[in-house]
Amino acid sequence: MSGGWAAKELTEKGLKTLVLDRGHMVRHPEYPTALKDPWDLPFGNRITQETRKRKYVWSRTGYPTPANELWFTDDLDNPYVEEEPFDWLRAYHVGGRSMHWARQSYRFSPMDFEGNAREGVGIPWPISYDEIAPWYDKAETFAGISGSVEGLPQLPDGKFLPPHDLNCVEVDFRKTIADKLGRKLIIGRCANLTAPLTHNESPQRGTCQARNMCIRGCPYGAYFSSVSATLPSAERTGNMTLVADKIAYEVIYDNEKGKATGVRVLDAKSGAQTDYFAKVIFLCASSLGTAYLMLNSTSSRFPNGFGNDSGELGHNIMDHNKPGGSSASVDGYLDVAYTGRRPNGFYIPRYRNVGKDKRNYLRGFGYQGRAARAGYGRFNDSALIGAELKQAFQEPGPWNISMTAFGEILPYHENHMRIDRDRKDKHGLPLLVVNAVVRDNELKMQEDMRNDAAEMLEAAGYKDIKVNSDDFHVGNSIHEMGTARMGHDPKKSVLNKYNQVHACKNVYVTDGSFMVSSGCQNPSLTYMAFTARAAHHAVEELKKGNL
Amino acid sequence: MSELNDAPGMQARREILKRAAWLLGGAISAPAALAVLQGCHQKTEPGVAAAAPKFLTAAELALVAEIAEIMIPKTNTSGARDAGVPAFIDLALDGLYPAEDQARYRAGLVEFETAARASGKPFLEQDEQARADFLHNALAVAVNSDRKPRPFILMTRELTLLGYFSSQVGITENMEYVAVPTAYHGCVPLSQMKKHVYWE
Repeated sequence: MSGGWAAKELTEKGLKTLVLDRGHMVRHPEYPTALKDPWDLPFGNRITQETRKRKYVWSRTGYPTPANELWFTDDLDNPYVEEEPFDWLRAYHVGGRSMHWARQSYRFSPMDFEGNAREGVGIPWPISYDEIAPWYDKAETFAGISGSVEGLPQLPDGKFLPPHDLNCVEVDFRKTIADKLGRKLIIGRCANLTAPLTHNESPQRGTCQARNMCIRGCPYGAYFSSVSATLPSAERTGNMTLVADKIAYEVIYDNEKGKATGVRVLDAKSGAQTDYFAKVIFLCASSLGTAYLMLNSTSSRFPNGFGNDSGELGHNIMDHNKPGGSSASVDGYLDVAYTGRRPNGFYIPRYRNVGKDKRNYLRGFGYQGRAARAGYGRFNDSALIGAELKQAFQEPGPWNISMTAFGEILPYHENHMRIDRDRKDKHGLPLLVVNAVVRDNELKMQEDMRNDAAEMLEAAGYKDIKVNSDDFHVGNSIHEMGTARMGHDPKKSVLNKYNQVHACKNVYVTDGSFMVSSGCQNPSLTYMAFTARAAHHAVEELKKGNL
Repeated sequence: MSELNDAPGMQARREILKRAAWLLGGAISAPAALAVLQGCHQKTEPGVAAAAPKFLTAAELALVAEIAEIMIPKTNTSGARDAGVPAFIDLALDGLYPAEDQARYRAGLVEFETAARASGKPFLEQDEQARADFLHNALAVAVNSDRKPRPFILMTRELTLLGYFSSQVGITENMEYVAVPTAYHGCVPLSQMKKHVYWE
């Protein structure tokens, strides 16, 4: 996600840029399963025991199927240590997790950037909403984000392509929760091209065909990924060299120059070691990946890990609090349905601790969900057989609705990762150890998440309401962040407000590592905006001779 | 006798089962009943002829195939056999389930056959109406149970539906399959839709 943006921005500004990826090459529009019909997929497209075994962490998400599992890294082959259950969900290939992200794209609000300072949580953000807003504009415009303009202070509007439709049930649900509870429901804001882009920088990208198979890779280039969007832009400048299968495991630091001079790399296949040198380095390996690389880079100047004067590197791991979904059955609406497959759902923006609302915990959560008509799965627990059953196939099932809350997790120093040098992976690299849990604030919030979901579904008169109370493991929302936070004070943070390592200005970190608080919004759009801003800063600083 | 049943090892297996029954005092146990009595008489299931089944024995597969076909028979649209459901179920049992579920499935299959024989005939030798009644009753009982862990007959049903609706005939004859819909319309009267059910 962020690596592609760094590549695009740096190359477009004229820098000869080497892009290293630890996984295999992926090129648009070569997505092997993208056009397969359902009958061409094995096992009814259900996850096999073999995949459950090999991808045992990914299996916890329920995502892998034969159609998409090529984007989910083999966990057995890439061990890490969970001191507390932690789902570290990796995508080791060019494009990374942008290949299969859920494409939900929301701005953080002034409330999010100000919360830590106002409430004395963690450290203050060193940057305001107004400073990042133009970079959100840039990210949304280039990526193509569809959505509706709503005027909500907690969820700023952006540069949107036309919104997807809500369906008939969702439209009425929106009215019910607005009238009865004063809550807003909007269509999800997502990185799918509901109309042509408003620029001509991405001729390889076409509009959304409503297939809802984004997770396989889109040959139309209709959703944003590094492979479909940013890397092709970087490629066209002629300034990019992209090398796959190269595991960067150490930042090379030159004591005399007081600068990083490059990175040390292992070839993922041969194990051969290479050093690559550069004037400026962007680390975009995901929050745990980047912090690992920095912690693994020790020198006389940085005995506790590169840039780690503060002792905060690897700490303050956040994710999004997601204790399980809620669902209900919906009576009526039997004479209506929908056509096409919408790669998006509805969104209920945060309303807790907004305005006059005050809870016994800090921050809030939003819900993502959808209403749909039941498919043939409704016959799994039925005794209907024969011609009668086949007759029933001809009609759609009743409507149901489901939604899942995503909530803010506060930064806790104790939630951390480190390196165990006594245990090694197949490359001979030390194992990453992670220990992060949700605490009192998150557990109190979970009660509201469950109760509020039930309250809204009841308000709408829906039946058979189910509220899931699964334990949540940090990492499961795949929004892990915060391991190299930015801040004004180098004693308490790893990066400055431009994503530069405080103690080594020619290294920038622009994946989720820099986050100071997690908000409850899906974070990728924020990573894009900060990466573009950091790249701009890096090039200006190079011109000034400051790096 | 089919090629499948002549596979090496089959004879030895039957012999072992016969001897096991003899050792038990001549009372044929349920698994032995299934394996011995059905093993030689069943024709090979269509769609599985080219390769030996991976998980089920030929006799087990014959029973499962018939259950699937009674659930989704050939009418003016394809039935479970036309859609390759028996072979699908065999592969799915082999690839999708952990050993404990596989064992439960196998035991449930034997229980099903044993119960069917209370009428005096193996399930597959009963007339069509008797088979449908027996299956319908077994389903009704299972549906009204707590369903945990999932009983044999509901696993079979789920796999039958999954296999049928993963097949080209199952999908295209029962639904509107649109590979490239081009657009999403959120609220469409059924009366304006080509078919009432679209694949999603």
